[in-house]
Amino acid sequence: MTDTLSTAVSHELDGNALLDAYRTMRTIRAFEERVHAEFATGEIPGFVHLYAGEEASATGVCVHLDDRDAIASTHRGHGHCIAKGVDVKAMMAEIYGRRTGSCHGKGGSMHIADLSKGMLGANGIVGGGPPLICGTALAAKQKGTGGVGVAFFGDGASNQGTTLEALNLASVWQLPAIFVAENNGYAEATSSTWSVAADNIADRAAGFGMPGVIVDGFDFFAVHEAAAEAIQRAREGGGPTLIEVKFTRYFGHFEGDQQTYRADEVANAREHLDCLKRFRTRVTETGQVEAAQLDAVDAQVTDLIDAAVEEAKAAPKPTAADLETDVYIEY
Amino acid sequence: MTSDTVTVGVVANPASGRDIRRLVAQASVFPTAEKANMVQRLLTAFASVGVTRALLSTDLGGISAAVLRASRARRPGRDGAWPDVVFCADDAITGTALDTTNAVRRMVADGARLIVCLGGDGTARVAAAACGDVPLLALSTGTNNAFPRMREATVAGLAGGLVATGAVAAETGTRRATVLHVGTADRGETALVDVCASRSRHIGSRALWHPETLTELFCTFAEPDGIGLSSVAGQLCPSPRDEPDGVALTLAPPEHARWVVHAPIAPGLVVPVGVDAWRPLPVGEPVEIGLRGGVIAVDGERELELTGSETATVRLCAEGPRCVDVSAVLAEASANGLLCTENHVAQRKERQR
Amino acid sequence: MARTISYREALNEALAQEMERDESVIVLGEDNAGGAGSPGEDDAWGGVLGVTKGLYHRFPGRVLDTPISESAFVGAAIGAATSGLRPVAELMFIDFMGVCFDQIFNQAAKFRYMFGGKAKTPVVIRTMYGAGLRAAAQHSQALYPIFTHIPGLKVVVPSSPYEAKGLMIQSIRDDDPVIFCEHKAMYDVTGEVPEDSYTIPFGEAGVVRDGDDVTIVAIGRMVSVAEEAAKQLADSGVEAEIIDPRTTSPLDTETILESVENTGRLVVVDEATPRCNLATDISALVAKEAFGSLRAPIEMVTAPHTPVPFSDALEDLYIPDAQRVANAVKTVVEWKR
Repeated sequence: MTDTLSTAVSHELDGNALLDAYRTMRTIRAFEERVHAEFATGEIPGFVHLYAGEEASATGVCVHLDDRDAIASTHRGHGHCIAKGVDVKAMMAEIYGRRTGSCHGKGGSMHIADLSKGMLGANGIVGGGPPLICGTALAAKQKGTGGVGVAFFGDGASNQGTTLEALNLASVWQLPAIFVAENNGYAEATSSTWSVAADNIADRAAGFGMPGVIVDGFDFFAVHEAAAEAIQRAREGGGPTLIEVKFTRYFGHFEGDQQTYRADEVANAREHLDCLKRFRTRVTETGQVEAAQLDAVDAQVTDLIDAAVEEAKAAPKPTAADLETDVYIEY
Repeated sequence: MTSDTVTVGVVANPASGRDIRRLVAQASVFPTAEKANMVQRLLTAFASVGVTRALLSTDLGGISAAVLRASRARRPGRDGAWPDVVFCADDAITGTALDTTNAVRRMVADGARLIVCLGGDGTARVAAAACGDVPLLALSTGTNNAFPRMREATVAGLAGGLVATGAVAAETGTRRATVLHVGTADRGETALVDVCASRSRHIGSRALWHPETLTELFCTFAEPDGIGLSSVAGQLCPSPRDEPDGVALTLAPPEHARWVVHAPIAPGLVVPVGVDAWRPLPVGEPVEIGLRGGVIAVDGERELELTGSETATVRLCAEGPRCVDVSAVLAEASANGLLCTENHVAQRKERQR
Repeated sequence: MARTISYREALNEALAQEMERDESVIVLGEDNAGGAGSPGEDDAWGGVLGVTKGLYHRFPGRVLDTPISESAFVGAAIGAATSGLRPVAELMFIDFMGVCFDQIFNQAAKFRYMFGGKAKTPVVIRTMYGAGLRAAAQHSQALYPIFTHIPGLKVVVPSSPYEAKGLMIQSIRDDDPVIFCEHKAMYDVTGEVPEDSYTIPFGEAGVVRDGDDVTIVAIGRMVSVAEEAAKQLADSGVEAEIIDPRTTSPLDTETILESVENTGRLVVVDEATPRCNLATDISALVAKEAFGSLRAPIEMVTAPHTPVPFSDALEDLYIPDAQRVANAVKTVVEWKR
């Protein structure tokens, strides 16, 4: 007896959805690698924290979200922004400090936001986002939109009181909130095996009366599946979930970080674990997507990032007239 | 190391018991702290029956760190004795199943007479593949534990220790398990409990909880009180652990199936599973799985992703691990008074009175 | 029609009228719904201050109790404000800002600017400040200067029941984050308050008393202290003009400067400790913008640079009183070059 795969499993993606997910991951990777290269030339000012290596997390979660849903991000926020639909060219312009940027050059890399897309901002404060997400989830619940709030935070933020308070409040109020702990192994240079007592962030969920799971952060399908379950549960009134995503970031904590605290894990991850490589292998082997289709996406993404950098460099900077505007709505 | 040295190995999987079944069902949570406590309870039991040296796995999940801290904080005279504790730190930690394999191999090479593994079915499977003929004691700290038993670690440690020292003979205290080998042309896996074919395309989050995707199920044994996929067979066509035959089932959507079994396929998840046919699975018979593409799960976790045209073959094999039978060991200990001694001084005083 | 009600009732009425008018207004805070999960009556307390009493049953599902977890619920109020609600969160004591300040000054205050003018965070954080109840060092401070310092926040310090109601309604309708500072010794103070809904615009000081000899700028409860001093001074022929800024951010600099240009003398009365407070801020403003009008050095009447003491003997010395204000006025009026 030969069975076929005619019966689609719930949550499984069709070819177009797979291509979209790939495009998002590829766009994040290309964006970050380009920012890395451009930063080295000295043209990008300030502090920049890159998300390369972690693409499967933002993508695997945000692919389930729509405009009802809000996310809060971290200082390493470019990937979350792209996955939630923030305009890539405006993001690049923002990183260059241009008036055409997402925030008119007033926010920079650590504060890119687009509330119209439910992107509540990258956040320069470690642990700043989780309480805010309790609020967006509360608003969704009060208004009955079916929306959810997703707080992305790192292993560093997992030790912040704000995060632990938010986990508790989300459980007390049974909020449609998902807490995605992106454990890349290091808070700046400090290993999470040292800083996170009991080592697994997911273990803490039980103490707050919510499910806590660990997924392979290099595997888009693993994140996608766990997020699907958590988000559906939240939308249906089942309450919050903590998902710990484990992976490695490919670049330093910030651009310029000499990374003396790390051994050779990045090379190994790039070679054997990389989310884009694994995704490509898998979907082409199953025949769901042709390699040529993925190649075409790669080319389009390259063009987009080239154009984004070119336009950002050519765009005007904000002027003195912009300095004191936008502090208040009404003065 | 003297000839009196009795060495055992303990491998604890830091990742077990944390998968998506805590989200899609209410699978148990086994925090790192409890796993570390179990290791310490084992050490106390080992020392009390004469084990002198314990090799412990290392991990980045906090278990070995907690045991190391505890070993440094022990108060002589107040805390019970432990064997000499040696951490296996020679292999780089990968954060994958390879860590379990490496640790067990090191322990076996270093003379361990018992391997204890803390984890779920997945961990036991990896340890079983690496421990050769050394007795295996699998303790449950995972999710879907059809193979390892839920046993108090002190009690299990006494039994394991008695086998390791030879106080209870291996022939009496251990049982040979059967295993299922499943493989494609170039890849293979070994299952202690079950092999299942799923129409799911990806390994994803590994666990299986959508019974409608399952097409075929093979079990080494199937107990009526089992948990996991083997419970389907356990209710419909049980197959005892101590008999060599296994069982093979053809699954189907419940609405079309000949039988519908309401089975606890995961903790907190009792779902209707459709079965069209079943038969005993004799040792040695190769069975080609009908599914093209899809995923092969072993012991409840999706492990092998098949490409579009690839097929896999399953075979039941009698040469599985030698597993410590805790009840049998301790019954033997009781029969022979292994944990009892006579207090001659007190008896003499009693007589004098 | 106006009638006499308390500061507490005025706030309650403002909240009720706004909740009635606008479904997106919600109220949250510790014990605001009476203590969720407790065996007693829901709404028994209406917050430890009793300000939200009666709202729980009147507005089902819109008055929420919170754990004692200020970062989480103040942050949640701010997050909800970005997502279409108009939350009014009660931070029981202003002193507790220390456990949730990040959410206020790094998140709420900065969203609009950081995000290039594309965020709206209409949250009100009600909080109780001030000394006088023997509540000691961690429950008595007047910390509104700290909030005033932060661009992006608006800071309201109402001085009477009338101000409390009109400013609360304005705060709820305002699209920027507002810190609403209620003096804990004023909840039972009564005054004339219109029954109908009304707003008092931000950044418009109230001229509480007219006078030509000296300008007294007083913040919050200090307005009534200044009034008491002014009565004494009037007996000795000194007519003080009292200005109540009502909001410290935005600050109505124009009314203050106009008054000083007329009187030529300034006394600022501020319950906050003396470094970087409203007294120093307003004094600097006047010294810079109206130096030519000044006929005497500016006097500041503030708390001393100490934590708030517990013993009544000390706390009474700590809080600026009418006598100290009157003395300061005499100093500036009698000043000779």
